[in-house]
Amino acid sequence: MSLTYLLIALIAMFGHSEDFLGTTLLSRPLVLGPLVGLVLGDVTQGIIIGGTLELIFMGNIKVGAAIPPDVITGGVLGTAFAIISGKGPAIALAIAVPVSILAEMVISGLFVLRAILNKKFDQYADDGDYKGVQRLHILSGLLRPLFMGVIIWLALQLGAGAMKSFLDMIPAWVQSGLQVAGNMLPALGFALLMNLMFNKKVAPYFFLGFMLAAYLKLPVIAIGGLGVIIAFIVTQDTSKEVSEDEDDYSDVNTETEKPSPKLTKGDVRSLFFRSLALEANFNFETWQNTGFAFSIIPALKKLYTTKQTMAAALKRHLQFFNTSPYGSTLIIGITAAMEEQNSRNADFDAESISSVKLGLMGPLAGVFDSLFWGTFKVIAAGVGASLALKGNVLGPILFLLIFNVPHLLLRYHLTFIGYNTGTKFLQNLAKNNVMDKLTKGAAILGLMVVGAMPATLMSITTPLTIGAAKSGSAVQGILDQIVPAMIPLGLTFLVYFFVKKNVKTIYLLLGLLALGFVGSMIHLFT
Amino acid sequence: MIKLTRIDDRLVHGQVAFTWVPALGVDCLIIANDKVAKDEFMKMTLGLAKPAGTKLLIKSVADAIIFLNDEKSKGLKILLIINSVKDAYAIANGVEEIKSVNFGGIRMKEGAKLISKAVAITEDDKPLLQELLSKGIELEIRQVPTDSKQMVGSLI
Repeated sequence: MSLTYLLIALIAMFGHSEDFLGTTLLSRPLVLGPLVGLVLGDVTQGIIIGGTLELIFMGNIKVGAAIPPDVITGGVLGTAFAIISGKGPAIALAIAVPVSILAEMVISGLFVLRAILNKKFDQYADDGDYKGVQRLHILSGLLRPLFMGVIIWLALQLGAGAMKSFLDMIPAWVQSGLQVAGNMLPALGFALLMNLMFNKKVAPYFFLGFMLAAYLKLPVIAIGGLGVIIAFIVTQDTSKEVSEDEDDYSDVNTETEKPSPKLTKGDVRSLFFRSLALEANFNFETWQNTGFAFSIIPALKKLYTTKQTMAAALKRHLQFFNTSPYGSTLIIGITAAMEEQNSRNADFDAESISSVKLGLMGPLAGVFDSLFWGTFKVIAAGVGASLALKGNVLGPILFLLIFNVPHLLLRYHLTFIGYNTGTKFLQNLAKNNVMDKLTKGAAILGLMVVGAMPATLMSITTPLTIGAAKSGSAVQGILDQIVPAMIPLGLTFLVYFFVKKNVKTIYLLLGLLALGFVGSMIHLFT
Repeated sequence: MIKLTRIDDRLVHGQVAFTWVPALGVDCLIIANDKVAKDEFMKMTLGLAKPAGTKLLIKSVADAIIFLNDEKSKGLKILLIINSVKDAYAIANGVEEIKSVNFGGIRMKEGAKLISKAVAITEDDKPLLQELLSKGIELEIRQVPTDSKQMVGSLI
């Protein structure tokens, strides 16, 4: 068993390395669940549990310094204990929720502690020692996977036996209560997503998604496809300029007479690769500052050959920085181009580099966080979880592909766009209202998929009958004839109502658990 | 109507566009900042970050005070964003309606002290904060709407 525990701890360490891996969702339960299943010899169960946990933690997102529950630790331990003890997803959930809340506190602590290292980073910068900055960034980044890996390994090694006998003691009625409660919890995830996207203007798309799923039984992936088409049609009327706009900025690019760029394609490419470790040393004092410095160092190395100039540049980039990792390369590229101008021209105002960088980080975080968390992640999770709940291994695979193909393509090209065209690209976006269309289209698409979710991803029904015990007709049958999946939809809106009233997530979670438990005991829901 | 007055030195970003705007149901973002009001580049980038279906107004602090006291602004559901304690002080004194100020993020700088994960306060800020508190204005720290309020008064 010891080897197994070690392997599971390694999976958790892999998950906790997400800050080195470009926030590519490799750490989500839907990906780690199947891996844990593989180690424990039951991949299918791992996929199903991963899908279940993914749904429940769906509304959990990382924006700015608001750190969500740690689904890596919670998900890995929950999945592992559930499979070891031979219980289902319900037990995984019962473990994952409290563990992830506890583990979040540990990680927040680490983010506070890391600020201590900032002095050391400043020293390295003063000496123009970019190698020192790089080294410390990586070492500090490794703290998280190492530390969490040890904790998880200890939890398994010391706690697995006790946990198993404890889980064996759980009576059947508690388990079936948990089962029903677990089936209800996705309503919370859906409601949190709706809270981000739902408003009167786009509400019809939510119901369109719901009806396609509930009545026509279309799979989520088909609804996503339809969503893309509808989003295109709806934003089309004025989108002629969009295609012209592309030419515009490439024209600008060729027309302006620039001295030949100092950075090679390879250099720019390494800016992109390094940006994947942007958040490795995330801390609560200066946030992603060392990640930014780490990413831009390949450019600085080329541009600044004296200790003095290197020190000045490093100090500039160790200032507070925080943006969405998904759009970070645009800022990194623009900054590299400005650093190049600075290195060429002694009169260049180096302060302007910082002001452009700091000016862009907030607004671009807004754009890219909404696009990736609000749209791509939603579709990826919707499609992935719907397959995973059936034990289909395509679930986690499509989940990763749907999110990361657009993510990595965009992130890669934005580095070059930033470096080659600088802020002109943004000016063109602003001039042509591209952003408005993009956010509108993304909202339509995201909401259609969210609408499909209660109908496809929640199985809550009622065993009630009306009339005499034997001749009575099943309530569920009647409901299905009017609106299939009426209970999941109603539940989702009920939770959404409370979310709108600013009721804390933890109370909603406990409330849903209680409702599921009681509902199961009095045979209201199954 | 001002739904929230927020100090956030990144102005409009993920937390704002993605959590506060939907949670408050606002239809108008007002950025009150003297420097940004004169900076075309900043205005352009902030325009990009504007959440769909909202209006974005960028004004100097003095102009923002005039606008917020004007009848015209009463029909809007406003999220007011400033980036410093100093501007918050000026605007809370100039606009009767503001009874509460939310602290979202003030980054660490020389001579400042972190009083919460993302909020750093300088010695110069303290008397301004005390004065606001003594006027009965609520000063609370929340990064996102679902956080529970931490009171600034108990932390300085």
